[in-house]
Amino acid sequence: MSKQSTINPTLDFNPKLDFAIERFIDAPTRLVWEALTKPEHLREWCMPKAWGRVSRAEMDVRPGGIFSIDIAVEDGPDSPNLGCFLDVVPMERLVWTSMLLPGYRPAVFDDIPITAIVTMQAVGTGTRYVFTALHRSEADLETMEHVIAMKSVAAL
Amino acid sequence: MVSKMVQSTAADEVFHALSSPTRRKVLERLSVGPATVSELAAPFDMQLPSFVQHLSVLEQSRLVRSKKRGRVRTYEIAPARFKVVEDWLTARRQLWEARLDRFDQYVKQFKAKESES
Repeated sequence: MSKQSTINPTLDFNPKLDFAIERFIDAPTRLVWEALTKPEHLREWCMPKAWGRVSRAEMDVRPGGIFSIDIAVEDGPDSPNLGCFLDVVPMERLVWTSMLLPGYRPAVFDDIPITAIVTMQAVGTGTRYVFTALHRSEADLETMEHVIAMKSVAAL
Repeated sequence: MVSKMVQSTAADEVFHALSSPTRRKVLERLSVGPATVSELAAPFDMQLPSFVQHLSVLEQSRLVRSKKRGRVRTYEIAPARFKVVEDWLTARRQLWEARLDRFDQYVKQFKAKESES
């Protein structure tokens, strides 16, 4: 079944670097996709209230399109999260990365880059989805682990 | 059970403390070694009272502790508390688990709203 390979893409998954979260939700795939890909929905769910809120969200959901989420805290400047969509198959797969700026322009920054993959599949009247986060290297994670955790934990 | 609750409150406090870029920068600086209030404040274009407010949030979350010698207060990292976020990958996973909990709730509401109309 080709659907199977969509939800479990062949990834170079490394449990030391990456994690995957699989969920089932009793809602049609169409709604899950919409909630994931429309900024007006994303801003409602993507920050647990104690940690901040989304002050601005821009998503152009196509390969190369902008992914831009600013997170506001009670003080100081908003922290930007800027990236680029890589792969968009409506109601099946969404891939984005912070390694690239919009339009695939190479990014340079001091945070730990992430590539995120969401795959989804209709199961009965509901949806099974998998969120996978891929990271660069163990060196990334080991270097000043505390500091890195602090810098990245509130980011997307 | 109790310890899990305590842990989640601790995590909330820590996440709250970390939610501010100013406070994250202060922690980064302190991870290098102890520093006085004026040393910590120097890189920031901020009124001292607002800056001191950040220090007190950090101290309340027990990520840092301070000592006063004479008129000079020195801050340092409080290592015990750091275990909460020690494992970066675990912290990231927790963040996304929390986020996806909200996502699932949101989609359920979305579905309910849609079936109403």
